[in-house]
Amino acid sequence: MQPDKLLRVAKWEVTKNAGGVDKRTIVVMALSLVAMGAVAAIAVSGGTGAGMDDGIYRIGVDESSPYYGVAADDRTFDIREPDPTAIERRQQELLYRGSQLQSVPRTAKERAALAELRDSTAQYNDRTLARDDNQTAAFPVSVTLVYEQQSGSSQLDPRGGDSSDGSGSADGSGTSTGGSGDGSDTGGTGGSATSSSGDGGTAGGSGANLGAIGARLTGDVQGGTPSDISPPFPFESLVLAFLYIVPMNFVIQAYGSSMLSERLNRRGELLLVTPASRGDIIGGKTLPYFVGAVGVAALITAALRFGNIAPAGSYVAVLAVVPLVVLFLSATFCGAMFARSFKELTFVTVTITVTLTSYAFVPAIFTDVTPIALISPLTLVVLDLTGQSVGLSSFVFSVTPPLLTGLVLFGLGAGLYREEDMFTQRPIPLKVLDALAGGINSRRSALKMSIILLPLVIVAELAAIAFLFVLDSVSLNVFGTNQSLGIVLVLGVIVVVEELAKSLHVYAGYEHARYERTLRSALGIGALSGLGFFIGEKGLLIARLSDLESLPIGEAALQGATLPAGLPLWVAGLLFLLPLALHTVTAAISSVGASRGRRAYLGGLVLAIVIHFAYNFAVVSTLV
Amino acid sequence: MIDARDIRKEYGGFVAVQGSSFSVDRGEVFGIIGPNGAGKTTTLKMLAGLLEPTSGSAEIAGLDTETAEMRQQLGFLPEESPLYEEMTPISYLKFFADLYDVDPDVAEERMHDTLDELELEHRDRKLGDMSKGMKRKVAIARSLINDPDVLIYDEPASGLDPLTTNYVIEFTEQLAKEGKTIVFSAHNLFHVESICDRVVIMNEGEIVARGDLEQLQAEYGHTRYHVYTTVDVPGAAKENGTYERVVESMEAVETTRRQAENRGGDVVDIRTEESSLEEVFLNVAEAGTRGTRYVEEDAE
Repeated sequence: MQPDKLLRVAKWEVTKNAGGVDKRTIVVMALSLVAMGAVAAIAVSGGTGAGMDDGIYRIGVDESSPYYGVAADDRTFDIREPDPTAIERRQQELLYRGSQLQSVPRTAKERAALAELRDSTAQYNDRTLARDDNQTAAFPVSVTLVYEQQSGSSQLDPRGGDSSDGSGSADGSGTSTGGSGDGSDTGGTGGSATSSSGDGGTAGGSGANLGAIGARLTGDVQGGTPSDISPPFPFESLVLAFLYIVPMNFVIQAYGSSMLSERLNRRGELLLVTPASRGDIIGGKTLPYFVGAVGVAALITAALRFGNIAPAGSYVAVLAVVPLVVLFLSATFCGAMFARSFKELTFVTVTITVTLTSYAFVPAIFTDVTPIALISPLTLVVLDLTGQSVGLSSFVFSVTPPLLTGLVLFGLGAGLYREEDMFTQRPIPLKVLDALAGGINSRRSALKMSIILLPLVIVAELAAIAFLFVLDSVSLNVFGTNQSLGIVLVLGVIVVVEELAKSLHVYAGYEHARYERTLRSALGIGALSGLGFFIGEKGLLIARLSDLESLPIGEAALQGATLPAGLPLWVAGLLFLLPLALHTVTAAISSVGASRGRRAYLGGLVLAIVIHFAYNFAVVSTLV
Repeated sequence: MIDARDIRKEYGGFVAVQGSSFSVDRGEVFGIIGPNGAGKTTTLKMLAGLLEPTSGSAEIAGLDTETAEMRQQLGFLPEESPLYEEMTPISYLKFFADLYDVDPDVAEERMHDTLDELELEHRDRKLGDMSKGMKRKVAIARSLINDPDVLIYDEPASGLDPLTTNYVIEFTEQLAKEGKTIVFSAHNLFHVESICDRVVIMNEGEIVARGDLEQLQAEYGHTRYHVYTTVDVPGAAKENGTYERVVESMEAVETTRRQAENRGGDVVDIRTEESSLEEVFLNVAEAGTRGTRYVEEDAE
């Protein structure tokens, strides 16, 4: 690869696309973005702008009444001169003289107005008390609320629970308490709300940080009586993760379109006859979108930091976004190499958007709820923005699988970036086989391909764990054993993914006449594929960097990669080698099928899946 | 300058080109002709390094066709003109000049000179708004932006109107006179005949004939004799006060002379006409691939 050529292609990619959008469109897009930003700002500001219910209740109250201030602070009330005849004429809903209600609510609207005034009075009192110099008198009763995890509790961050600093407080749901407290160590990820009669405020665990951001985002800095307490909803994680994931989806649309347009009408053919290499062309065409996506993430982080919404935001948040950008772009690149038309590309990019957004976004919402959240690098972003430290091991665990997967996908797509594959109109499944076959040139390629594909396997398996762990508590009677539904489903997904990863490239090799169709050859190729997978599978040890094993479902999923402690050496050795035998045998079965055509391959694959599942289930039933 | 040794290309089970060998000398214009699907474009793309031969090898100026050094010396013009339609001709040519490491000042001068020669107007117009002929001229200018020694042109006049076609062919002829080595394919055999020094005829992925035009005519063509007489003879047509009969052998010429004398007339003129390349091509195509006779020795 020649960096100068790559940069030239990148420069012209920007110039070319800039020329493809006229100025009017740019203006319309900019105005649309500003409008969206304004609407979002109003939404997160708690609707401080004009509201639809402004002034819907008319209240007769004079300035001497204690309710005057309450009504004045609530925009739903329209303050009028007290007038008993106005009540009769139904021109006022409520009438106060001093602190006494002079009218009897008879209509539904009058009753609603009274209920609203009572709520507003409670909030008015809370705000008044929170401003009082003597907080002990204002809040004589202190309640410390700690949300605990139901199972598998573990701190994401070693410093997560040690956040008592005596300076104000907030709970995980965005509500906060005024008052003074003596601090508390909530030790957890659930967040806490504290109000105490001590002399210092408290903060909860990591949830407290989120609450603080939520408060800043929504303007909700008051509240905190026991009746207001509700379990925390990770609204802030959701908002923060959303902020970072949405721009990526726009970037991949432009990227996919640019890549596919190189293929349509053979426009990219002429680049291939220049001295620039395939790597220069792909790298150059990808670089602007990569820089753009990472740049947007950096801008968002800077805006949150200097807008004082997430003052703790740092370069860690930007670095954590990099593997996601690589993953999104690489998947889109592959999609653009596979699709035959813009119509097909639309279908592919929607699939990519939904799949990868789910992978990245959903776990990050639960940043402070479960360690599984760490499978998504967006969790690191949320942790960083909320002022929680991100350990190196957590960082490596979170970013490595998507980064490697991205590189593998780029490699597969690059295999098709040549004249004879770029411009063909083969269906997507055949293109996938073409991409896989591109890396095969001898029997030993089977071993190499199984190792190369492992990052894809890891990402798929971690995603399965993340999405199925909620079913951990549902029991299922399977073969007389009482297993959780979550574990059974995760095992099923893992087995299917692994057997496909071991056999699909072998099938592609046979379909492209790279291998000899003999039984001996098929057995040898299968064994090599199984061996490659076994070697690569040890890469799953990366999971030890996380706390996934603290969950039963995580332990079940990772049983192939890690060994229980304290086993005799020979047992440990046996358990270490058994997976090798398993992978070799099952890969050989599907390889023999692949050597005899598509139907035989499917048959062999199903048989391999059944054997693999039985093995995994037996191990899990025994060890977990 | 160009040396193709037994290059073969297979797509799955389909053989697009079966082991072709030929060589092209420096400054030579070499034509490849054949019916659709004969393997011409595949051969040209293998020479340009776009397609990797399944077996065999090709070199240009002693360099493997898949190396960047070789591509630096090559100008390739595909059958279609797939341009970036949102760019102007100038920005498009600058982009490729940049990729070929052409000095910006040199590139500027070269692109304007070439576009002047090609008489391309509206250089600030976007390529998407240009006619097919104008786009073709930009594509030709692109193939010359790096001042290549070797040009590989696949149907350079494909789909163009007669006027533009003639212009493109004349321009290509001019390039040949400037010393460029050109490998050229075209459906219009008149163009090939007019500018090519040597020709190979391909059919079903195989070279079935090769040589210069005279050799091909001698092997596959026919010589026609136009015999003009003062009296009518069987098979003759009246032509400007004389009678013309077209025959294909000297024996038939003698027979016609005797027939004219028997009727009190005489032969006033005999003219010969050689087969066109088109006729040669049709004869070769009719002969099929069986019993292929090469005019010259196979390239080593």
